[in-house]
Amino acid sequence: MKFASSAKFAAVALTAALALTACGGGNSSSGGSAGPVDGKGKKLSVLTGVNAQYSAQQKQWFTDIAAKFKAQTGADVEFETFASANDELTRIQTSVVSGQGPDVYSLGTTFTPTAYATKAFVTLSDDDWKKLGGKDKFNQAALGISGPDAQHQAGIPFVSRPFVMAYNKDILAAAGIDKPASSWDELAAQAKKMTNPTTGTFGLATGYKDNFDPWKFIWAMSVQAGNPLVDGKTLKLDDPTVKKAYDTYFGWLTKDKVVDPASIGWSNSNAVAAFASGKAGYLLMTTSSSLPTLEKSAVAGKYAYATMPTTAPGQTSPQGDAANAASILSGDNVVVADYSKQKDLAFAYINLITSKDEQLNFQKIFGDLPANAEALKSLDNPALKPVADTAAKSKATPFTGAWGDIQLALLNVVVQSIPDLSKGSVDDSSLQARLKDAQTKGQASLDRASK
Amino acid sequence: MSTDSLTAGKASRRKSSHAAKPGPQSPENAPRRRKGLSERNRPLWMLIPGGLLMVIIIVVPLLLGIFMSGLDLDQYSLRKWVSAPFIGVQNFVEALTASPLLHAIWLSVSYSLLAMVVTIPLGIAGAVATQNAFKGRAVIRSIFLIPYVLPSFVVATVWRTMFQPGSVIDSALHSVGIDPGLWLNGPQSFWTLILVQIWASWPFVYLLALSGLQSVDHEVHEASALDGALWWNKLRYVVFPYLKGPLALAFLIGMLHHINNFTLPFVLFGVPAPSDVELLPILTYVTSFQSFRFGLSAAMAFISLILIAIPLFVYLRAVKLDDSETPGGKK
Repeated sequence: MKFASSAKFAAVALTAALALTACGGGNSSSGGSAGPVDGKGKKLSVLTGVNAQYSAQQKQWFTDIAAKFKAQTGADVEFETFASANDELTRIQTSVVSGQGPDVYSLGTTFTPTAYATKAFVTLSDDDWKKLGGKDKFNQAALGISGPDAQHQAGIPFVSRPFVMAYNKDILAAAGIDKPASSWDELAAQAKKMTNPTTGTFGLATGYKDNFDPWKFIWAMSVQAGNPLVDGKTLKLDDPTVKKAYDTYFGWLTKDKVVDPASIGWSNSNAVAAFASGKAGYLLMTTSSSLPTLEKSAVAGKYAYATMPTTAPGQTSPQGDAANAASILSGDNVVVADYSKQKDLAFAYINLITSKDEQLNFQKIFGDLPANAEALKSLDNPALKPVADTAAKSKATPFTGAWGDIQLALLNVVVQSIPDLSKGSVDDSSLQARLKDAQTKGQASLDRASK
Repeated sequence: MSTDSLTAGKASRRKSSHAAKPGPQSPENAPRRRKGLSERNRPLWMLIPGGLLMVIIIVVPLLLGIFMSGLDLDQYSLRKWVSAPFIGVQNFVEALTASPLLHAIWLSVSYSLLAMVVTIPLGIAGAVATQNAFKGRAVIRSIFLIPYVLPSFVVATVWRTMFQPGSVIDSALHSVGIDPGLWLNGPQSFWTLILVQIWASWPFVYLLALSGLQSVDHEVHEASALDGALWWNKLRYVVFPYLKGPLALAFLIGMLHHINNFTLPFVLFGVPAPSDVELLPILTYVTSFQSFRFGLSAAMAFISLILIAIPLFVYLRAVKLDDSETPGGKK
């Protein structure tokens, strides 16, 4: 019996292996010598993130864009999706090692430095940019995280997703606040006015257990205070500005008491839900993709987006470049795999999806802002105005392969502080110890990057 | 996984040697072929497909992993990973001295052991309680198995939702005047993990204990009844000796399973994990897929392999001992 089943298994595995080889063969043979736009009989493979919020629309978009691409070049496009950043990473690692896989990848902006460090993606030459319709076609701010410098860029901006805050106009008005805060201190003061534990209303909604939000706050407040976090080969997490940022961020819960105590277990979606139910004055660290959710919620018509504060805690006006650090430079880049045998076809595809019309169409369906400069200018939805403004005031996170580790270290400080947060106060010395640990780990990673 | 395939291999080998005995009578054996080969050797070629698969699926990756543990392999050298600089045992030195590996091993082993110590009595109790026929026994037995058939991911997601601050468990405890504190972070998270692990894995012990109980001959029950043994004495001196073998196996397999369990802590606590539940698989994962230190993480994985090989060795010895006896034999 055992034999039978293992023999069957062997047969299945063999078939699968054969099928795989067949696929591989098909892929490599498709790389012909035809011209850039003649892709007859070829197939371009594109890996992109799955859009759980609009999955039906995404499938439709795939079909539509594939038809347009076929009409333009005669080639087919095959879309593959990944469900999470980890999925994507695994996929990239496999492709990098084996030298075969998708031709075009879609990457989150903060992941672009890590991907760039693997050297598995095409660094675009002037010629390549021409194939995409020139560098000027893109929103110049969005190019800030395409590569380490203007001459070495691998990431082609596809969409912008800057972080903003949403506010409940009714709650702000009821507390006598006429305009949203522009400094973090003012934000806390306003939040205090709006907080009313008896009705369960809190000034701020944010998730301390989110996998990304916490480090974005720390990054923003530190950068606005003049600390870029990575200064050449030195990591500066042991700087007082970073400590101040954590104190402010934790202080909302422990000192100001302007967030729901349950938010130590929240992710971003919990915070969106709290704001959507009308229980919070501000929803921090959100993007225009929260718009469809909010439009269908109890706060529909009562909320607006605004740029998050750009004045560092303890200061009265934006210092230096702080006004231009309203958000991390966020969105998606597309990259072309270095091993791809049909790079021209890949560029033709990217040229199509970054064209003005396609970008506007994409915005309409999914809410993400265009990376195409012309398309961005032509947006006329007033609700999106503050978001589009923020897109121009976004600052790139440090472009180093170590950023993933630094981000993790910043996040880890919050994770390890959650027991203290739940008790109501974060001990100064233990916070210092955690920061020191983060500094050591992050610096070690930075040393590897600059080796 | 490796234990499964090893037992499978063993079982098939046993089966084949059985099959060899009635060989001459079986019709499909042509008389000409029978002559040239000794009876013992004949079916071994049938192991080739399985053996080949094991080589491809287990041996080759294992060797690659060991090779990787000697490389300074990270995101910068991944693309041409074979030519990444060879740094000997430096990864092992770093894993043991400059990483939380020892802490992680301590956490993994202690959590596995604690969960095992609780699940064994639970499993036995469950098996004894459903040993004698009663109305609705089949239903109860099925219910007992629910945690075992649910995917680990589902179990962890549901428990995580219940353990959220201010969620059902908190409000239930609040209503009786207890402030439970934080479940998913802080020192208590270690106990949360053990609790969920117990819930998820006790049916495994129950199953093995049940199989042990089933093998107790009817006459033995009658004899002990005739001798006037009361329930505790009967359990202690008559029934338990039968359970020794199956439970030893349950203990070892359970330990291996717990030490290797990634899904449960990953889904319950996420990464980066709170330091109280930074278990071995989580640490290896983060090192590999968040920090991209593939070499270092291969070294960690290799160290954990050695750790797991110890109970595995004991387990294989145990199976070997059982081989010569009838199943569930009293030793």
